[in-house]
Amino acid sequence: MKKIKGTPLRVSGSALVAISLGMFASSGVALADGGGGASGLLVSALLTLSIGTIMFGASSVSDRADTPVALASVAWSWLAVSIAGALPFLMTGSIPWAHFDDALFESISGFTCTGSTIFSDIEAVPRGVLFFRSMIQWFGGMGLIVLAVAVLPALKIGGLELIANEAPGPTADRLTPKVTDTARRLWLLYGGITLAMIAALMVVGLSPYDAATHAFTTVATGGFSPYNASIAHFDSLLVEFIIIAGMIFCGANFSLHWYAFKNGPKAYHRVSELRWYLGLIVGSTFILIWLNFGNLSLGRNIRESFFYTVSLGTSTGFGTSDFTIWAPAAQVVLLTLMIVGGMTGSTAGGMKILRLQILVRYSFREIVRARHPKAVVPIRMGAVSIDEQIAAKAVGFILLYMGLIVLGGLTLAGLGVEPVTAFSGAVSAIGNAGPGLGEAGPVSDFLVFPRLGRVIIMFLMMFGRLEVFPMMLMFVAFARAVSRSRHTIRQ
Amino acid sequence: MTPRPSRGGPSLGRLKIRITKSLHVVKLAVRGYSNGRVESVGAVTVGTVALCVWPMFMVCALFDSARGGSVWLELSVVGTTSAVIGLFILRYARVPKYLSTARLFRALASGTLASLGIVMVGLLATGATGSITLALVEAASTITGTNASTIDISKIEPGVMLLRALGQWIAGAALIVILVRVLPHLGVGGLDADGGVATRSARRLSPKSSGTVFRLLLLYVMLTALIGVGYAAAGMPLVDSAMHALTTISTGGFSTQLGSIGAYQSGPIEWVAVGGMFIAGISLPLIFLAIRRKDPKRFWRSYEFRFYSLVVLAAASFVAIFARQPLTLDIVRSSLFKVTSAASTTGYIDSASDLTSAGGQSLVIIVMLIGGMSASMTGGFKVMRLLAISSYIGRELKRVIHPTAVLPIRVGHSSIGQTAFSRIVGEIFLSLLVLIPGALILTNGGLDLEGAFSFALSCLSNFGPAFGGAAQINHLSELSGIGQIFSAGLMVVGRISITPVLVVLAFITEPLARTLRRKSFGRRKMAVR
Repeated sequence: MKKIKGTPLRVSGSALVAISLGMFASSGVALADGGGGASGLLVSALLTLSIGTIMFGASSVSDRADTPVALASVAWSWLAVSIAGALPFLMTGSIPWAHFDDALFESISGFTCTGSTIFSDIEAVPRGVLFFRSMIQWFGGMGLIVLAVAVLPALKIGGLELIANEAPGPTADRLTPKVTDTARRLWLLYGGITLAMIAALMVVGLSPYDAATHAFTTVATGGFSPYNASIAHFDSLLVEFIIIAGMIFCGANFSLHWYAFKNGPKAYHRVSELRWYLGLIVGSTFILIWLNFGNLSLGRNIRESFFYTVSLGTSTGFGTSDFTIWAPAAQVVLLTLMIVGGMTGSTAGGMKILRLQILVRYSFREIVRARHPKAVVPIRMGAVSIDEQIAAKAVGFILLYMGLIVLGGLTLAGLGVEPVTAFSGAVSAIGNAGPGLGEAGPVSDFLVFPRLGRVIIMFLMMFGRLEVFPMMLMFVAFARAVSRSRHTIRQ
Repeated sequence: MTPRPSRGGPSLGRLKIRITKSLHVVKLAVRGYSNGRVESVGAVTVGTVALCVWPMFMVCALFDSARGGSVWLELSVVGTTSAVIGLFILRYARVPKYLSTARLFRALASGTLASLGIVMVGLLATGATGSITLALVEAASTITGTNASTIDISKIEPGVMLLRALGQWIAGAALIVILVRVLPHLGVGGLDADGGVATRSARRLSPKSSGTVFRLLLLYVMLTALIGVGYAAAGMPLVDSAMHALTTISTGGFSTQLGSIGAYQSGPIEWVAVGGMFIAGISLPLIFLAIRRKDPKRFWRSYEFRFYSLVVLAAASFVAIFARQPLTLDIVRSSLFKVTSAASTTGYIDSASDLTSAGGQSLVIIVMLIGGMSASMTGGFKVMRLLAISSYIGRELKRVIHPTAVLPIRVGHSSIGQTAFSRIVGEIFLSLLVLIPGALILTNGGLDLEGAFSFALSCLSNFGPAFGGAAQINHLSELSGIGQIFSAGLMVVGRISITPVLVVLAFITEPLARTLRRKSFGRRKMAVR
């Protein structure tokens, strides 16, 4: 049989096979739990497995291995697993078939590690399905981490080439051997952290099911919880503390963790981005404590301020209370944190600290240049000065990011959503945080957006997760193909 | 395009010569007079501003006494005092021989602060405002052309009314002078911020920049008269139409009525306002050239103008759609009014009901942020910069596929240099750095989230009206003192742009940064990035 040459197809196929394994596991959980949904999960697992196998088997790697092909593979496989991930929700009847777009929303929100949900009563959903729901975030994080550490930096997306050389593994010129090797190491680390999280949560008294679901979504900085009240369900300081530690750890660069794992904790001194990251968390916590002073009791204040700074700063989106009733000033801080996000090379979303660093240097350089018009001022990061081209790319990324927030927020508002909800929803979606402000707060769900608005949010989540450019290029490539075919027809 | 020799009619030529000559005489007199010992361009600017406001205050005082007001004495005293102080300062300061960029920045900042102070004193002396912070906000919105006011217009004296309108108009005229005379030398992401794209066309009007200033000012006066006649013809009382003309063309937005333009409940007046505001958003050099060469196609040839009209029309149609009402002429007028008022950052309010749709509100905020064309009197971000940025994003997308391609940033047929572009970017993000603390402080002053953000953005674009909790008429007076000071600061930053402010502050920050860098170098040595 002649195989179709298409890297995107092959990559998507293998991703689907991986997801089906998760579905089998969830089906097992559903069976053990007895809450129903086992057969639905099994059917979707078999369906996904067969489609994935066919796609994988019928295709081979294409001859070309340039940037557009790599980007298309990433974008298409993300789309494929998102569609497959919607199946269990529909098959088990958790979401009626008439609302298949909601199932897709939930799935995309999972695979992009966003954590926005359309379930208004989460606890009514079978536990097996909820286990799967947490699991897709874990899978999403797994794909993401390779994407963030190895693929996108190597493709020089949005100034990420700064961290390109940091990916663990041999630095070969070709992307493929490097990615496989890097992926192996990163997944080892990722799996190890997940196990450690599960163990820690079980030690403080959580059931294996609770520990596993929360560990999955913490490590992926996703933020799905099988309980309506999210982390507040446990009302335990220890659980919150462990989850905060997990979020901070996973919002930081994984290749840095790898080096620290290999060479000892001194490796953390290497990168100024980490200092900014921790500084931002500590600073915002203090600002929040100050702003909430008097509105909450002191203990509650410190606990919630710290939790939400980390939860939104790493774009996880777990909740312990309703921050939409906080003072508006505190919400401004949270919104800013959502826009900035975590470190590059992590599972966190947002526009990333590294780019913020570049941006700050880039902007303040203009003041120096205004005073000294002929000065040659390099953009410094730590001890090195970075290339002008990289800075230009990072700035381009940020501009596009902001533009998409404005466009998304405007469209949502145009559909009749109240402006604060609309714009914060757009920020939260593109930053893969989860909750928004206004009506879309942490105790609410995304059903406050109209149906068409949720479709837009799906797109924003994908854009944000794939660092905007791959998705953009997917459309650009599509538009080009269309125009090329029109051109040939005309001839 | 080579500059053509002046071809105006004989009367215009003679007038021009006479005015430039007399201006030259004044300049020489000031130069000769201010032969003091202290070399400070800031002081000279402050002195000149203090001297130049004298006629304005005198006109207001005359108007006040003619209309039977009771503050003419206060106005003339403030005007005269400031003139005397100005003369005093000018006596002891002189223009430095070498004008460095930093000094020009200082001049810009001190000139703004001086006018802010004088207007503030004027408002306090006439008793128009109670507290100092309120007077500061009022003065800031006067000189920056923002329509954010706390004064109950129905109760103030005619002299103060004229002071507000004339203040906005003169600030607009001063902006023209700055645009042509100062900014090309700064070349910073300042008001032109496209690195001279706007000012290049402004300079081209005449071989000498003083000629350009004269032409643009003449055009400014003529447009004011035109709009005033338009208002009067549409049925507005004569004095009101004059005052509204002053604030329309300067995109200031102060009105003589409590309900702004809407108070007249008249369709024709609102149409005139729509036209006037649209014109105010157009680049002045473009209008001048189109009139001078009798070539209306010139508008269409301007890429920026096309985009500006497109933004206005598209936004107006969406506002009309979002209103979810059957399309009538009233809806069309009201949407066009709201959008032109936002695009030109004038801040007039029409008689139709407020914008209630979320989409309409957001759209108006976005349009206000974009603002009008470069080299116009509008605040906001300017269409030219938006075009540059979208072109840049497109280029970066292309560069992902073709990493080594050398692609220019194009706006229309011309391209923008990398340096100019980084100025624009610096400008945006530095204003963002001011905006977020600003919004934070405004929320602590009692505004809700939507109100705080929309009002902060509104101040920063010199628009004025806002939504949410800031939609009430008296939200500004209910803010805390710090909130009021901050909103005044945002307005000033919006007008003279953030760079001059920060450059002036760089006196402190630059040595500080240097010391910090030296101290922390040892620690950072091991850092890779």
